[in-house]
Amino acid sequence: MNSKFSFGWFVNPFNRIAGLQAFLLGLLFVLMMGIVGTFSRVCFDGVFDMHLTHQMTFDRSFLLLAIDVSSLVFVMWITGLIISKSFRFLDILGTMTLAKAPFIILALTGFFTKSIDLKEILPTPHLNSALISLIVIALLSIPVLIWTITLMYNALKISCDVKGTKLNISFIIALIVSEIVSKILILLIS
Amino acid sequence: MLPTYCPSCNNQLKVNRLKCDNCQTEVTGSYDLPVLALLTPEDQQFILRFIINSGSLKEMASELKLSYPTVRNMLNEIINKVKSYEQ
Repeated sequence: MNSKFSFGWFVNPFNRIAGLQAFLLGLLFVLMMGIVGTFSRVCFDGVFDMHLTHQMTFDRSFLLLAIDVSSLVFVMWITGLIISKSFRFLDILGTMTLAKAPFIILALTGFFTKSIDLKEILPTPHLNSALISLIVIALLSIPVLIWTITLMYNALKISCDVKGTKLNISFIIALIVSEIVSKILILLIS
Repeated sequence: MLPTYCPSCNNQLKVNRLKCDNCQTEVTGSYDLPVLALLTPEDQQFILRFIINSGSLKEMASELKLSYPTVRNMLNEIINKVKSYEQ
């Protein structure tokens, strides 16, 4: 077996890491996202959502992340029960938590921009630099989002041993449902 | 490697003749290959390792440096192959 570090590690680390190991590593990233996100005022208000805010507290940052991860894990677990004959909850928990890791990049980008009201942008020329940084972050978030979704897809594929159309359709539905569930929970708690 | 499929028509081969190296006796007939012999050498190696590890997927995962679900998926694939051969 080739154990060399390769590109495959970035898109599908779950061939080599899953279960408790993946969960602990994923938890470490989530904790870092919570801490960094608090200082950079980045709010992860959805399974694959982030916004810049004027103020952020540790409590809110970790609460939102807890909702994100648990919504994702819960919906993917239900999906697993429907589409797979046998799988372990621990694998879904671990791989899905680790799949959120790239969002740490988005948490860091908060340091390089500031929250601005879009109504203020056009009539206020001095905000142009802020607008540029906002555009850069918006563009940067696209590859990060693609990377995260790829990881989530591979997490479900490896954890539940499903392939083809069955996997593609169930993953898309599960992803949308998990986003909706997380948004509802955030609305209920806020 | 033991050939299991006909190189001409790709049909499954049968054992036609067996020979004792000691007394040179030859047994001829038409015998089916065992299901395990129909698997690829990699799959056969996997099964051997699986037996040596007392059927523990956790130990297999640790030995192959792969995750538990990956090893379980490999086993599922072999199970599906064996089932298809048995039909």
